[in-house]
Amino acid sequence: MPRAVRGVLIECEPAIKSILIHIDQELLGNNAIIEDLDETHLMVKEGMVKALQDRLDEKLKETYRVEQPLDDSDHDN
Amino acid sequence: MPPKRKAPGAQGGAAKAGRTSALSTPGPATPRSLDSSMMSEDEEEMLNDDDVDEAQKQREDMLAKEADQFVNKWALTSDNAGGAEDTAPRTNDAATPYFKKKDYSHYHLKPDHQNRPLWIEPDGTIVLERFSPLSEQATDFLITIAEPKSRPALLHEYRITTHSLYAAVSIGLRPQDIINTLDRFLKTPLPPRILTFISTCTKSYGKVKLVLKNNKYFVESVDTQLLQQLLANDQIKEARVSGTTDITTSYAPTMAGLVIPGTKNAAGVHQADLKQGNNQNGEQAQPGTEADVFAALNEEDDDDEKEAVHSFEIFDSSVETVQKVCLDIGFPILEEYDFRNDNVNPNLEIDLRPNTLIRPYQEKSLSKMFGNGRAKSGIIVLPCGAGKTLVGITAACTIKKGVIVLCTSSMSVVQWRQEFLKWSNINPDDIAVFTADSKTKFSGSTGIIVTTYSMVTNSRERSHDSKKMMDFLRGREWGLMLLDEVHVVPADVFRRVISSIKSHSKLGLTATLLREDDKISHLNFLIGPKLYEANWMELSQQGHIAKVQCAEVWCPMPPEFYDEYLNAKSHMKRTLYAMNPRKFQACQYLINYHEARGDKIIVFSDELYSLRQYALKLKKVFIYGGTGQAERMQVLENFQHNPAVNTLFLSKIGDTSLDLPEATCLIQISSHFGSRRQEAQRLGRILRAKRRNDEGFNAFFYSLVSKDTQEMYYSSKRQAFLVDQGYAFKVITQLANINETPDLAFATPQERRELLQRTLVDNDRGPEQEVETDDLFGKEQPRSRKGGKGGRKAGGGNKNGGGVRRTAGTLGELSGGQDMAYIEQNKAANKGLKGAGGGGKKAGAGAQNAFFKKIQREVEKGKGR
Repeated sequence: MPRAVRGVLIECEPAIKSILIHIDQELLGNNAIIEDLDETHLMVKEGMVKALQDRLDEKLKETYRVEQPLDDSDHDN
Repeated sequence: MPPKRKAPGAQGGAAKAGRTSALSTPGPATPRSLDSSMMSEDEEEMLNDDDVDEAQKQREDMLAKEADQFVNKWALTSDNAGGAEDTAPRTNDAATPYFKKKDYSHYHLKPDHQNRPLWIEPDGTIVLERFSPLSEQATDFLITIAEPKSRPALLHEYRITTHSLYAAVSIGLRPQDIINTLDRFLKTPLPPRILTFISTCTKSYGKVKLVLKNNKYFVESVDTQLLQQLLANDQIKEARVSGTTDITTSYAPTMAGLVIPGTKNAAGVHQADLKQGNNQNGEQAQPGTEADVFAALNEEDDDDEKEAVHSFEIFDSSVETVQKVCLDIGFPILEEYDFRNDNVNPNLEIDLRPNTLIRPYQEKSLSKMFGNGRAKSGIIVLPCGAGKTLVGITAACTIKKGVIVLCTSSMSVVQWRQEFLKWSNINPDDIAVFTADSKTKFSGSTGIIVTTYSMVTNSRERSHDSKKMMDFLRGREWGLMLLDEVHVVPADVFRRVISSIKSHSKLGLTATLLREDDKISHLNFLIGPKLYEANWMELSQQGHIAKVQCAEVWCPMPPEFYDEYLNAKSHMKRTLYAMNPRKFQACQYLINYHEARGDKIIVFSDELYSLRQYALKLKKVFIYGGTGQAERMQVLENFQHNPAVNTLFLSKIGDTSLDLPEATCLIQISSHFGSRRQEAQRLGRILRAKRRNDEGFNAFFYSLVSKDTQEMYYSSKRQAFLVDQGYAFKVITQLANINETPDLAFATPQERRELLQRTLVDNDRGPEQEVETDDLFGKEQPRSRKGGKGGRKAGGGNKNGGGVRRTAGTLGELSGGQDMAYIEQNKAANKGLKGAGGGGKKAGAGAQNAFFKKIQREVEKGKGR
């Protein structure tokens, strides 16, 4: 029995795609992505686009946040 | 996007500055211990914190706090900003919001502002227009009164700090001169806040000097009333040597007659013997003329004017107290060493060799040190490879007293000694070395000792020889203490150094006076102000250091690596972005390209795992902490002289104190977070390139960065220092023709997956620590590496591997029965399975068919509901 789901096609860089999949798995309970099409394309549920966008922004901020303190240790001397 | 490449204000003025009293002079020589996590020379010197007793720690904490307080007291913070000047009427226009608090449009421009090169902000930041015709003079002036913050091509940024003003005062500038000159160059009137700042700082600084004459401490000032005021204080009164009831008056020493060897003046001029008459009780009359180094700025000065100086003597033991009290009353004491009138410490026979000519910028830096004929303590900042050693040696030759040189490693100890012998005519017997291996003393009454920080600060059980040597060092007075690579010494370590060794003056040398942690915040005031900081760009234009092209190469992460990256823990993340196969390819491509051009290449990697993988895969030689001494020398020699060995992989042990003038290209594949210092030090490895004066020669500095990872952030942070020095980083997003490289590593997805699996498995147990933290030439490490990963000696063109070794073993071992090779094969088999089997075997494994992934997702979705 075929199912029809309304979806949005997302085109992005492979890295962003990875992040989106990661978000889908970790935070949205595999609810957003309908189909992983190829390196740069994803099919996403229409209603989840906003949620994905928000989470992605957060995630990107995280990427450029410093996790460890910038200790300038003396080990290298 | 990563933050823009601009130095964050962090390094700010408030952090450094000030002057703590208690330990900034050699006090009573109480032996002290030290926790030094940094320098390990050998077993004997491995120290830890436990050595330091509680009392001392508390004391140090207290000192640090005190210094902080003092620093804050003087800092030109924005907190106390505002006030009168901010009430000036402002106009709001369309552009106003963009400037936020930095809207200074209410300052009136002077009518002829176009001819003036300086802008100023009320927080002390000064912007210099480099393209203005007056910029040369303005630069000279600014270097004297302010600290350079950023010096790219056209606009320079400086900042007035307490510290820089203190330095200006200490070389003889008067507040009025500073204010007048500043006003002359400024486009706008001087903000009143700056005006008060300058006058308050300069009023109290430099008025009182602590002078060591004939091994007696004198408090000196031009102002008799001030001395009376000081003497009114009970503690100072007590400290005063009785019998010298009157304040003695003498004349200020001048630069006249002092010739820094190696400068042009020195040719044919013999330093006049300036010892004058009876020097007891510090009474001295020294004729001289006011020959100010900054004569240009003080043209109005009468040349024949003599400046009277008044002084009183204090007990050696109470120097600390007096300094502290003076600080409390608000007159911080300057330290100077009148070495020409020091008859107690024997003179050292040392002079620069006659054919030695020092470079103009070296002369300039030294003239700041010896500005008024006395030796001032302070720090000189010169880029790597610009001849810091020669500056140190010249200073020693000027002072001509006992010198103690402190450096970071046993190898630099040897280098320093060689340099001394090379540049000066010192008798080889007079220059001794104190390291774990060799403990010599000089033959004569005075001489030079070269040692390491860890040797003198170590307090644990030492060998009898070391102990005797330390007693010898503590027991005498030194004319000059040279501190090499002074940025590596945190302030607390330095406090202990100066408390155990008495020296009249201190000179710190460094290329990068910055640390990401604030451990040097008090350092430059424990030693003294920053006397001179060279302009990197200027030096490279003059050909003293190599011209460098800097580039940041962005390497995208393949999706499978990026997936892992997102899920990994932080140390694994570091490994993953270092092991990025695209980065590997970029590295391979750059090595091929530059080897074909005839460059000698150094590749730096902080991560040991990737270092080894890269080097083995590319069949290049490598050195890291665990590499034995003999092997290192062999590899280095091959790199220098063997035309077949053009690429060398180095771990962070090669960051500093490695002199390879052959190297002309540098590739960085992984680095220590956002350390600006490491970046600058690494760049320093190619600045001294031998071929730098060839026509059109450029050295190359590549930083490989994995896209979309934290490395991008760190990389931009790391570059801040170099960008401030005027280096421009080009960003390369795609290397041309990279896919046509023959034998390109990891070209197929399968190879990449294998690499990923291997990386994950090998690093499962956490990152491998660098075994040894000493320099490149440290002591030999025990050779027994765990299990022998097989890979280490296997690298084809690897020049590693020593001679024959005799070991005991069982027959089974000989036949390979206990060899790890079995495990290796296992691993390989695993990989083969994964590669061939595809997704069908077990769900959840790395390489899966998209179909099964989808099924799995559906299943999980079902669970989720």
